[in-house]
Amino acid sequence: MSEEQQLRLQAFLDGELPESDAREVLAWTQRDADAAALLTELRNTRAAIAKSELHLSVPETREFYWSKIEREIQKLEPVEKEIAAPILNWRRLLWPLGTAAICFVVAMMEIPRVNIVQPVAVVSQDTDETVVETDQANSDATTYRDEADGTTLVWFSAAADANPISGKMPGAIN
Amino acid sequence: MSGKDFTNAKDDALVKAARRGNMQAFEELVARHRDKIFARAFSMMRNEDDAVDLSQEAWVKGWQRLKQFQGESSFATWMTRIVINLCLDQLRRQKRHRTESIEGMDEESGGVERQMPVVTVNPTERLERGELRKKIDGAMGKLSEEHRTVLVLHEFEEMEYKEIAKTVDCSIGTVMSRLFYARRKMAALLVDLRKEK
Repeated sequence: MSEEQQLRLQAFLDGELPESDAREVLAWTQRDADAAALLTELRNTRAAIAKSELHLSVPETREFYWSKIEREIQKLEPVEKEIAAPILNWRRLLWPLGTAAICFVVAMMEIPRVNIVQPVAVVSQDTDETVVETDQANSDATTYRDEADGTTLVWFSAAADANPISGKMPGAIN
Repeated sequence: MSGKDFTNAKDDALVKAARRGNMQAFEELVARHRDKIFARAFSMMRNEDDAVDLSQEAWVKGWQRLKQFQGESSFATWMTRIVINLCLDQLRRQKRHRTESIEGMDEESGGVERQMPVVTVNPTERLERGELRKKIDGAMGKLSEEHRTVLVLHEFEEMEYKEIAKTVDCSIGTVMSRLFYARRKMAALLVDLRKEK
């Protein structure tokens, strides 16, 4: 029997031949005793091996076996973390920077409005009259007098760079 | 998912958790399949220390490549392919460092086995399962690495010729030839073992 025939017989056993070739080999084994004997030997060997793999167990405890794997994995991790670190740091700064930017924009929008009407205190008190001390004679002023309480409140409209009239703000006059 | 739940979780769920970086989930996968992966490494290397080292290396590779696991096969099968490839790499390295024996050359060409008479009786008949396993294992240990590898991949991993050729990086003809001589040698070894008994 040639090597080619032997390998063809084996391919037949392993189901690797096309159907037409398989039929030919089957017919051949039925009329050739040597081919039939070899086929039987191959079949017996294959069956014996296939169902006979040893059931082996790792000769180490679960914890010990895992510990080496874990160590090796942890050795790999710092590399990945180093790559990820700059992106992570940048992301950390995103919120504070964003919040600061929003605060700045809001402050810029609010400053002119605050300067339009600025309460300024008036601090001179006499028994009968209220004296307003100011170097901005043309400023608009709003006065509120509470007779019952004997208190007067005066609100001045002043420029942003106006000097405070007095050290007390806002003030009440009794 | 807490650590307690991992013992009841399916492999798919554990793989998903491990992909997100959960080491506990991966540890559970290792615990479940470590014997199978070790056994495959041992069947190829025939050395316990090598099998332990290579199986552990396979788990580390598995962790690194988890994102590549698409679920076409089971997780255990996927891991088995990784350990097989590592064993093949190791066997190639070992082969480069040693001179081929005369026996190895004979096995590669099939010179001895081609002339062997056909074994007419079933040498494993009437053997107990445990005894049979030991005999098969002993006979496998006497094969050359090339023949054993092809036999393991075909009989234990149930790979087709084409898949074996791709895994081992050789032609289908070489796979067929190696498988044939491996089987013939196994038949002869099993007869010898029976006689020894």
